[in-house]
Amino acid sequence: MNKEEILIKSGKEYFYSGNDEFSKGRYNSAVVLYFKSLVSFSDLYVLQKTGNTPSSHNERFKITKEKFSEVYNLLDKDFPFYQSSYVQIMGRELAEVIKDDAKTMAEKTKTGL
Amino acid sequence: MMQKLWQKRPKLAYSKDVLDIVQFGSSAEEGKNPNDLDIAVIFNKIPLKEQLNQAQEIKKQLETASEIPIHINSFDLYSLFDNSNFAKENILFYGKSIIYGDDFSKRFALSSKIQIYYSLEKLRKKDKIRFNYMLNGKGGEYGLLIKYAGELLKPGLIEIAPEFENIFVNAIKEFKVEFKIKRVIIA
Repeated sequence: MNKEEILIKSGKEYFYSGNDEFSKGRYNSAVVLYFKSLVSFSDLYVLQKTGNTPSSHNERFKITKEKFSEVYNLLDKDFPFYQSSYVQIMGRELAEVIKDDAKTMAEKTKTGL
Repeated sequence: MMQKLWQKRPKLAYSKDVLDIVQFGSSAEEGKNPNDLDIAVIFNKIPLKEQLNQAQEIKKQLETASEIPIHINSFDLYSLFDNSNFAKENILFYGKSIIYGDDFSKRFALSSKIQIYYSLEKLRKKDKIRFNYMLNGKGGEYGLLIKYAGELLKPGLIEIAPEFENIFVNAIKEFKVEFKIKRVIIA
Protein backbone atom coordinates (compact mmCIF):
# COMPACT_ATOMS: atom_id res chain seq x y z
CA MET A 1 0.00 0.00 0.00
CA ASN A 2 1.47 3.38 -0.91
CA LYS A 3 1.07 6.64 1.01
CA GLU A 4 -1.89 7.80 -1.07
CA GLU A 5 -3.79 4.55 -0.54
CA ILE A 6 -3.06 4.63 3.20
CA LEU A 7 -4.34 8.19 3.52
CA ILE A 8 -7.52 7.39 1.55
CA LYS A 9 -8.14 4.28 3.65
CA SER A 10 -7.54 6.01 6.98
CA GLY A 11 -9.52 9.12 5.98
CA LYS A 12 -12.53 7.01 5.03
CA GLU A 13 -12.20 4.79 8.07
CA TYR A 14 -12.14 7.75 10.47
CA PHE A 15 -15.06 9.32 8.62
CA TYR A 16 -17.27 6.23 8.81
CA SER A 17 -16.27 5.61 12.42
CA GLY A 18 -17.22 9.25 13.07
CA ASN A 19 -20.63 8.53 11.53
CA ASP A 20 -21.04 5.52 13.84
CA GLU A 21 -20.27 7.58 16.93
CA PHE A 22 -22.42 10.45 15.67
CA SER A 23 -25.40 8.15 15.22
CA LYS A 24 -25.01 7.01 18.84
CA GLY A 25 -24.92 10.59 20.11
CA ARG A 26 -21.26 10.30 21.15
CA TYR A 27 -20.30 13.69 19.81
CA ASN A 28 -16.89 14.05 21.50
CA SER A 29 -15.74 10.85 19.81
CA ALA A 30 -17.35 11.92 16.54
CA VAL A 31 -15.52 15.27 16.64
CA VAL A 32 -12.16 13.54 17.18
CA LEU A 33 -12.78 11.04 14.39
CA TYR A 34 -14.07 13.60 11.90
CA PHE A 35 -11.06 15.78 12.64
CA LYS A 36 -8.70 12.84 12.06
CA SER A 37 -10.50 12.21 8.78
CA LEU A 38 -10.05 15.88 7.89
CA VAL A 39 -6.31 15.60 8.63
CA SER A 40 -5.93 12.45 6.51
CA PHE A 41 -7.65 14.09 3.54
CA SER A 42 -5.65 17.30 4.06
CA ASP A 43 -2.41 15.29 4.00
CA LEU A 44 -3.66 13.51 0.91
CA TYR A 45 -4.31 16.87 -0.74
CA VAL A 46 -0.78 18.06 0.13
CA LEU A 47 0.60 14.77 -1.21
CA GLN A 48 -1.32 15.13 -4.47
CA LYS A 49 -0.11 18.71 -4.92
CA THR A 50 3.50 18.45 -3.71
CA GLY A 51 4.45 14.77 -3.67
CA ASN A 52 5.18 14.94 0.07
CA THR A 53 3.23 14.53 3.30
CA PRO A 54 3.70 16.50 6.51
CA SER A 55 5.09 14.51 9.43
CA SER A 56 3.67 16.54 12.31
CA HIS A 57 0.89 19.00 13.10
CA ASN A 58 3.46 21.81 13.11
CA GLU A 59 4.68 20.94 9.64
CA ARG A 60 1.10 20.44 8.42
CA PHE A 61 0.11 23.92 9.60
CA LYS A 62 3.29 25.46 8.16
CA ILE A 63 2.90 23.92 4.70
CA THR A 64 -0.81 24.57 4.39
CA LYS A 65 -0.49 28.14 5.69
CA GLU A 66 2.18 28.86 3.07
CA LYS A 67 0.69 27.02 0.10
CA PHE A 68 -2.93 26.01 0.64
CA SER A 69 -4.65 28.66 2.72
CA GLU A 70 -8.14 27.22 2.22
CA VAL A 71 -6.95 23.93 3.74
CA TYR A 72 -5.11 25.77 6.52
CA ASN A 73 -8.30 27.65 7.39
CA LEU A 74 -10.22 24.43 7.92
CA LEU A 75 -7.48 22.83 10.02
CA ASP A 76 -6.79 25.93 12.06
CA LYS A 77 -10.50 26.49 12.70
CA ASP A 78 -11.20 22.94 13.84
CA PHE A 79 -7.95 21.99 15.61
CA PRO A 80 -8.83 23.70 18.94
CA PHE A 81 -11.90 21.47 19.27
CA TYR A 82 -9.83 18.36 18.69
CA GLN A 83 -7.39 19.59 21.34
CA SER A 84 -10.08 20.36 23.89
CA SER A 85 -12.19 17.27 23.21
CA TYR A 86 -10.70 15.70 26.37
CA VAL A 87 -12.06 18.38 28.66
CA GLN A 88 -15.09 19.85 26.93
CA ILE A 89 -18.49 18.54 26.02
CA MET A 90 -18.87 18.62 22.25
CA GLY A 91 -22.31 19.00 20.71
CA ARG A 92 -24.10 17.68 17.66
CA GLU A 93 -23.81 20.97 15.77
CA LEU A 94 -20.03 21.09 16.18
CA ALA A 95 -19.67 17.47 15.05
CA GLU A 96 -21.70 18.33 11.94
CA VAL A 97 -19.43 21.29 11.17
CA ILE A 98 -16.27 19.19 11.34
CA LYS A 99 -17.95 16.40 9.38
CA ASP A 100 -18.71 18.92 6.61
CA ASP A 101 -15.09 20.07 6.62
CA ALA A 102 -13.85 16.48 6.29
CA LYS A 103 -16.30 16.03 3.40
CA THR A 104 -15.00 19.20 1.76
CA MET A 105 -11.45 17.87 1.85
CA ALA A 106 -12.57 14.46 0.58
CA GLU A 107 -14.14 16.24 -2.40
CA LYS A 108 -11.00 18.30 -3.00
CA THR A 109 -8.96 15.09 -3.13
CA LYS A 110 -11.60 13.41 -5.32
CA THR A 111 -12.17 10.74 -2.69
CA GLY A 112 -15.64 9.21 -2.76
CA LEU A 113 -17.31 8.83 0.62
CA MET B 1 3.78 48.54 31.03
CA MET B 2 3.31 46.89 27.65
CA GLN B 3 0.20 47.97 25.79
CA LYS B 4 -2.33 45.18 25.49
CA LEU B 5 -4.23 44.34 22.35
CA TRP B 6 -7.50 45.49 23.92
CA GLN B 7 -5.87 48.83 24.68
CA LYS B 8 -4.60 49.19 21.12
CA ARG B 9 -8.14 48.53 19.80
CA PRO B 10 -7.05 47.43 16.33
CA LYS B 11 -9.51 48.24 13.56
CA LEU B 12 -11.33 45.05 12.71
CA ALA B 13 -13.90 44.16 10.11
CA TYR B 14 -16.72 42.07 11.55
CA SER B 15 -20.40 41.53 10.93
CA LYS B 16 -23.38 42.78 12.92
CA ASP B 17 -23.68 39.25 14.32
CA VAL B 18 -20.67 39.97 16.55
CA LEU B 19 -21.63 41.31 19.98
CA ASP B 20 -18.08 41.66 21.24
CA ILE B 21 -14.50 40.48 20.80
CA VAL B 22 -12.93 39.79 24.17
CA GLN B 23 -9.32 39.32 25.23
CA PHE B 24 -9.06 37.14 28.30
CA GLY B 25 -6.68 34.85 30.14
CA SER B 26 -3.10 35.63 31.09
CA SER B 27 -2.57 37.93 28.10
CA ALA B 28 -5.14 40.34 29.56
CA GLU B 29 -3.35 40.46 32.92
CA GLU B 30 -0.41 42.64 33.84
CA GLY B 31 2.79 41.03 35.05
CA LYS B 32 2.39 37.78 33.11
CA ASN B 33 4.21 36.45 30.07
CA PRO B 34 1.62 34.56 28.03
CA ASN B 35 2.53 32.12 25.28
CA ASP B 36 -0.61 32.88 23.36
CA LEU B 37 -3.45 35.31 23.31
CA ASP B 38 -6.93 34.05 24.19
CA ILE B 39 -9.79 35.69 22.34
CA ALA B 40 -13.51 35.03 22.70
CA VAL B 41 -15.79 36.21 19.93
CA ILE B 42 -19.32 36.62 21.27
CA PHE B 43 -22.05 36.26 18.66
CA ASN B 44 -25.76 36.71 18.39
CA LYS B 45 -27.58 33.39 18.07
CA ILE B 46 -26.38 32.26 14.63
CA PRO B 47 -25.43 28.78 13.40
CA LEU B 48 -22.17 27.43 14.82
CA LYS B 49 -20.69 26.94 11.36
CA GLU B 50 -21.20 30.63 10.67
CA GLN B 51 -19.71 31.57 14.05
CA LEU B 52 -16.58 29.54 13.39
CA ASN B 53 -16.10 30.93 9.90
CA GLN B 54 -16.49 34.51 11.08
CA ALA B 55 -14.23 33.92 14.09
CA GLN B 56 -11.57 32.57 11.74
CA GLU B 57 -11.69 35.78 9.70
CA ILE B 58 -11.36 37.85 12.87
CA LYS B 59 -8.44 35.69 13.98
CA LYS B 60 -6.60 36.42 10.74
CA GLN B 61 -6.98 40.15 11.32
CA LEU B 62 -5.87 39.91 14.94
CA GLU B 63 -2.78 37.92 13.96
CA THR B 64 -1.47 40.94 12.11
CA ALA B 65 -1.71 42.99 15.31
CA SER B 66 -0.26 40.43 17.71
CA GLU B 67 3.28 39.16 18.24
CA ILE B 68 2.11 35.94 19.86
CA PRO B 69 -0.23 33.23 18.50
CA ILE B 70 -3.96 33.85 18.75
CA HIS B 71 -6.20 31.20 20.27
CA ILE B 72 -9.77 31.98 19.31
CA ASN B 73 -13.05 30.72 20.81
CA SER B 74 -16.53 31.55 19.61
CA PHE B 75 -19.67 31.70 21.72
CA ASP B 76 -23.20 32.98 21.65
CA LEU B 77 -24.69 34.15 24.94
CA TYR B 78 -26.14 30.69 25.59
CA SER B 79 -22.90 28.79 25.09
CA LEU B 80 -20.90 31.50 26.91
CA PHE B 81 -22.84 30.93 30.12
CA ASP B 82 -23.30 27.20 29.65
CA ASN B 83 -22.04 25.02 32.51
CA SER B 84 -19.73 23.17 30.15
CA ASN B 85 -17.83 26.37 29.31
CA PHE B 86 -14.98 26.32 31.83
CA ALA B 87 -13.70 29.66 30.53
CA LYS B 88 -16.85 31.63 31.34
CA GLU B 89 -15.66 33.07 34.67
CA ASN B 90 -12.37 34.07 33.13
CA ILE B 91 -14.08 35.77 30.18
CA LEU B 92 -16.66 37.57 32.27
CA PHE B 93 -14.34 38.51 35.13
CA TYR B 94 -11.02 39.25 33.45
CA GLY B 95 -12.19 39.81 29.86
CA LYS B 96 -11.40 43.03 28.06
CA SER B 97 -13.41 44.17 25.07
CA ILE B 98 -11.25 44.80 22.03
CA ILE B 99 -14.16 46.60 20.38
CA TYR B 100 -14.89 48.98 23.25
CA GLY B 101 -11.46 49.06 24.92
CA ASP B 102 -12.96 48.37 28.33
CA ASP B 103 -14.04 45.62 30.72
CA PHE B 104 -16.29 43.07 29.02
CA SER B 105 -18.37 42.88 32.23
CA LYS B 106 -19.43 46.49 31.62
CA ARG B 107 -21.47 45.28 28.66
CA PHE B 108 -23.77 43.77 31.28
CA ALA B 109 -23.61 46.87 33.52
CA LEU B 110 -21.37 44.93 35.91
CA SER B 111 -17.99 45.77 37.36
CA SER B 112 -15.46 43.11 38.31
CA LYS B 113 -13.02 43.76 41.15
CA ILE B 114 -10.42 41.94 43.18
CA GLN B 115 -10.53 42.47 46.91
CA ILE B 116 -7.40 41.54 48.84
CA TYR B 117 -7.70 41.08 52.59
CA TYR B 118 -4.39 41.11 54.44
CA SER B 119 -3.13 41.19 57.98
CA LEU B 120 0.07 42.94 59.05
CA GLU B 121 -0.19 41.70 62.63
CA LYS B 122 2.78 39.37 62.43
CA LEU B 123 5.06 41.88 60.72
CA ARG B 124 7.78 43.81 62.49
CA LYS B 125 7.21 47.56 62.74
CA LYS B 126 9.77 48.40 60.04
CA ASP B 127 8.17 45.89 57.65
CA LYS B 128 4.74 47.37 58.33
CA ILE B 129 6.17 50.73 57.28
CA ARG B 130 7.74 49.19 54.15
CA PHE B 131 4.41 47.54 53.32
CA ASN B 132 2.70 50.90 53.64
CA TYR B 133 5.28 52.48 51.32
CA MET B 134 4.72 49.68 48.82
CA LEU B 135 1.01 50.46 48.71
CA ASN B 136 1.00 54.23 49.14
CA GLY B 137 4.41 55.33 47.93
CA LYS B 138 7.19 57.31 49.55
CA GLY B 139 8.97 60.59 48.90
CA GLY B 140 7.05 61.48 45.75
CA GLU B 141 7.32 57.95 44.35
CA TYR B 142 3.96 56.39 43.58
CA GLY B 143 2.86 53.30 45.43
CA LEU B 144 0.97 50.47 43.76
CA LEU B 145 -2.44 51.88 44.72
CA ILE B 146 -1.93 55.10 42.80
CA LYS B 147 0.01 53.42 40.00
CA TYR B 148 -2.72 50.86 39.33
CA ALA B 149 -5.79 52.83 40.44
CA GLY B 150 -6.44 50.64 43.46
CA GLU B 151 -8.31 51.69 46.55
CA LEU B 152 -7.79 51.12 50.24
CA LEU B 153 -11.34 50.33 51.39
CA LYS B 154 -10.33 50.02 55.03
CA PRO B 155 -7.18 48.97 56.88
CA GLY B 156 -6.39 45.46 55.72
CA LEU B 157 -8.56 45.56 52.60
CA ILE B 158 -7.71 46.87 49.16
CA GLU B 159 -9.74 46.73 45.97
CA ILE B 160 -8.10 46.60 42.55
CA ALA B 161 -8.94 45.92 38.92
CA PRO B 162 -8.64 42.23 37.98
CA GLU B 163 -5.82 42.74 35.49
CA PHE B 164 -3.49 43.90 38.29
CA GLU B 165 -4.07 40.91 40.57
CA ASN B 166 -0.72 39.35 39.77
CA ILE B 167 1.23 42.54 40.45
CA PHE B 168 -0.35 43.09 43.86
CA VAL B 169 -0.19 39.45 44.88
CA ASN B 170 3.51 39.21 44.02
CA ALA B 171 4.26 42.41 45.92
CA ILE B 172 2.32 41.26 48.99
CA LYS B 173 3.91 37.80 48.93
CA GLU B 174 7.33 39.39 49.37
CA PHE B 175 6.28 40.46 52.86
CA LYS B 176 5.14 36.97 53.80
CA VAL B 177 1.87 38.33 55.20
CA GLU B 178 -1.33 36.37 55.40
CA PHE B 179 -3.81 37.40 52.75
CA LYS B 180 -6.84 36.14 50.90
CA ILE B 181 -8.45 37.15 47.65
CA LYS B 182 -12.09 37.65 46.83
CA ARG B 183 -13.27 38.10 43.26
CA VAL B 184 -16.41 40.20 43.26
CA ILE B 185 -18.78 41.36 40.57
CA ILE B 186 -20.59 44.56 41.46
CA ALA B 187 -23.88 45.52 39.82
